[in-house]
Amino acid sequence: MTETPPEGGGKVENPRQGGDYAPSVAARVAVWHKAGGIAVPLLTTLLAFFIGGLVVLATTGKNPLTTYKAIFEGSGLNWFLEVGSYEIGIPWTESRVWFPWDTSFNSFAALNLQQTLIVYVSLVLTGLAVAFAFRCGMFNIGGQGQYLVGAIVAVWIGSELPGLPGLLHILVAIVAGALSGAVFAGIAGFLKATVGAHEVISTIMLNYVALWVGVFLFGLGGPLQNDNVGGESVPVSNDVLEESKLNVFWGDPLLQGLHVGFFVALAALVVYWITLNRTTLGYEVRAVGFNPEAARYGGISVARNYVLAMAISGTFAGLAGTLDILGWQFRLNTNDIFISSIGFVGIAVALLGRNTAIGVALSGLLFAALLVGTSTRNLDPEIFRPELASNLTLLIQGLVVLFVGADVLILYLFGIRRRARQRQART
Amino acid sequence: MKARSFLLLVSAALIAVVMLVVTGTSSARPAASATSPAASSAPAQAPFKVALVTDIGGLDDRSFNFLANKGLNDAKKRFGVQGRVYISRSERDYIPNLTAAIRQYRANLVIGVGFLMADSVATVAKAFPATKFAIVDNSGVKQKGNPRNIRGLLFKEQEAGYLVGYLAARQITARPFGGNLMLGAVGGLKIPPVDRFIAGYYAGARKANPKVKVVHAYSQDFVDQAKCKEQALNMIANGAGVVFQVAGQCGLGVLSAAKERNVFGIGVDADQGYLGQHVMTSATKKVDVAVLGTVGAAKASGANFGTNRDVVFGVKSGAVGYGRISNRISPALKAAVESIRKQIAAGTIVVRAQSPPATTG
Repeated sequence: MTETPPEGGGKVENPRQGGDYAPSVAARVAVWHKAGGIAVPLLTTLLAFFIGGLVVLATTGKNPLTTYKAIFEGSGLNWFLEVGSYEIGIPWTESRVWFPWDTSFNSFAALNLQQTLIVYVSLVLTGLAVAFAFRCGMFNIGGQGQYLVGAIVAVWIGSELPGLPGLLHILVAIVAGALSGAVFAGIAGFLKATVGAHEVISTIMLNYVALWVGVFLFGLGGPLQNDNVGGESVPVSNDVLEESKLNVFWGDPLLQGLHVGFFVALAALVVYWITLNRTTLGYEVRAVGFNPEAARYGGISVARNYVLAMAISGTFAGLAGTLDILGWQFRLNTNDIFISSIGFVGIAVALLGRNTAIGVALSGLLFAALLVGTSTRNLDPEIFRPELASNLTLLIQGLVVLFVGADVLILYLFGIRRRARQRQART
Repeated sequence: MKARSFLLLVSAALIAVVMLVVTGTSSARPAASATSPAASSAPAQAPFKVALVTDIGGLDDRSFNFLANKGLNDAKKRFGVQGRVYISRSERDYIPNLTAAIRQYRANLVIGVGFLMADSVATVAKAFPATKFAIVDNSGVKQKGNPRNIRGLLFKEQEAGYLVGYLAARQITARPFGGNLMLGAVGGLKIPPVDRFIAGYYAGARKANPKVKVVHAYSQDFVDQAKCKEQALNMIANGAGVVFQVAGQCGLGVLSAAKERNVFGIGVDADQGYLGQHVMTSATKKVDVAVLGTVGAAKASGANFGTNRDVVFGVKSGAVGYGRISNRISPALKAAVESIRKQIAAGTIVVRAQSPPATTG
C-alpha cells in the first residue's frame, strides 16, 4: 500500500517541461481510492448534497444552506457544538461530575440526538450486515428480511416467558433474534454454496418470506396476535414485557430515550473489524471475496465461507431488529412490517462506507442524521414544506448511492482531462 | 495497514470538518425564516396552538390524514388558531413527533390520527398530563397506562351505511338486476369501524325492502385493489346489483368492478362520486368536520375541554352522511334518502352499532 501513482511514473517539478507528468487529480484520487476509498465517498457525498441543494433552491426558492442547517439541527448533532458547563451522573452511583454538554431534558438538541442515535444503532448493524457479505463477494439485499426475522423473534420471546429474570430474558431474546437472522440469511448462503443460486435473487425473495410470515403471525387471527382486551381487531403483537426492555441510559425511558443497544452497535463495529482483519475466518472471507477461484486453489472452502459469511451478515441484521424491538418499539404492528425499510438504507450505508468498519460508522451517522433531521418535526414549515421533507432525504440518499456506484465514471472523467493534458504535453 | 488506518482517521476528521463547515457558514447568515410561526404573529394573548400528528399514511392518503389536515386548515381560518402538522414516516416518529408537538411547539391540543397511533398517544398523554389530546377513530378511554387527558373521536359509521343501504335497496327494488333483489358489500378487514358500516347497510336495506338480500365479504386487505375487485366480481356474478366498498384504497377495485359489469358501486369515507356515474353515492365519514368541531370546542372551553371520554360524530353533527348521488338515480329516490337522513338527524330513526350477520357470500 505505497503511495505511488498507479501509472505514468514518478513526479516531475513541471509537467510542461518533461516528457512525464505530475500526478493529476485523477491519479491522486486513484491513490486515495486504493488506500481505503476516502476521497470518492467524500466527493460523492458532497456532490449529492450540492445537487440536493440545487433541488431545494429550484423547488422552494429558499437558501439551501438554511435548509441544511435546519436538517443539521434537527439531527441533534448541534448538541456537540453547544458546549457549556453541566453535570452528568455516574452510572450506579449518586455522584455527579462536570461535563461539557447538557444531557438534561432541557436540551432539545439532546432530544433530537437521542433519536438520531436510535436510528444509528439499526443503520450501523444493517450496514455491517451488507458490508460483511460484500467482503465475501456477495450482495446481501436481504438485510430487511433478516432485520424483520430478528424483530419477530425478539418480540415473541420478549413478550413470552414471564418467569425469566430480566437480564437473562434480554440475553435470551437478543441471542435468539441474532441467531434467527443468521439462520435466515444462512439459507441464501447455503443455496449459493450448494446449487449456485444467486444470493441477490434469493435474499430479495427471502425478504418477502419474512414480510408475509410477519404479517401472518401478527395479523388478524394470527397465532401471535395480541391478547389485549378488545385487541382482536388490531393487527399487532403483544407488548414486550417490562423486564425485557433494554435500559435507557439517556433521555426519558417513556418517551423513546436512547437505549443501551447503542453500545452493542459500537461493539459490533469493533467485532466486525477484528473478525475481518485479525482472524483466520476473516482472512478466508476476504480471500473468497477477492477471488473465489484463487481461494479454492489456496485450499479455502469457498462453500463454507459463503454460508458462514451470510450467517454472520444475518447476525448483524437480526441484532438490529432485536435491539429495535427491545430498545424502543416494544411491539410489532403489521403496518410497521410493511413500511419498515431500514435494511435497505443499510445497503446505502455499506456502499458509502466502502464496507469498512469506520466507513460504516461514519456513513451510518450521516444517514441517521439525514433521516431524523428531515423529519417534519425538525423542519420548520416556514423553511421547508413538510411534504417535501422526506423526499429530500430520499433524494440525497439516492444520489449518494448513484454516485458511489458511478465512482468509476467520475474517475474516468478525471482520466479524460488527464489524458488530454498528456497529449498536450507531448505535442 | 498503518497507512490505511491513518487515512481512515483523516477521512473521519474530514467528514466532521465538512459537517461543521456546512453548518458554520449557514449559521453565520441571519436566518430570516428561522423564527417560529408563533413569534411572527404576536397577538395580545397567547395563540391557541393545535398540533396534528399523522400516522404513516402521509398527507396524500385521500382519506384520514388528508381529511384531518383539511379540518385543521379549516379551523385555522374559522377559529384563528395556529396549527402545525407532523407527518410520521415510521413508527419511530410517533413518540418524538408527539413530544416535539408539546415541548417544542407547545401545542394546547394534540390530535393523533388513526388507531395506529393509539399506544403512542396513550404513552405521551401519560407523560404530559397537563396537555389535552384527541385521537381520531380510537377510543380515548381506558388506553394503556390509563391516561385521563385523551378525547376519542369516533364516528357512527352505521348511520352512513344505513343511508346508502336504504338508497341501494330502493333502487334495486325499482330496477331488479337480472331479476335479482340483491346487494353486496366488500369490507377490508373485519374491524369494528368496517363492521359498523356494513351492519348499517344491512339495516338500511331492510328498512327499504325486507325482501332485498344483502351479502358481504372481506378482502383481508386495505391496499390491493385486485383483491377487492375479485370479491366484487364474484358478488356481481352471483346477482348483486349494487356493491358497497368499505375497504379504503383496496375498495377502489370494487368500484371499477361495478363500472365493468355496468352495475352500481358505492364509495366510502370520502365522496368518491368523482369516479363517474356508476358510483351511486358514497357513505361519507368526514374526519375534517370532526377535527374542526373538536378544535373549536377545545379553543372555546380551554381548560374545561372534556377528556377521558369519547365524542361520537354522526349524521346529526354533519360528520357522517352520504355523498353526491349519481344522475342515474331518480329525484324521488334522492328525496326519499334525504328524508331518512333528516329522520336520523332528528333522532326518530335510531341506527344501532352492531355486527353484521356472519358472511354469506
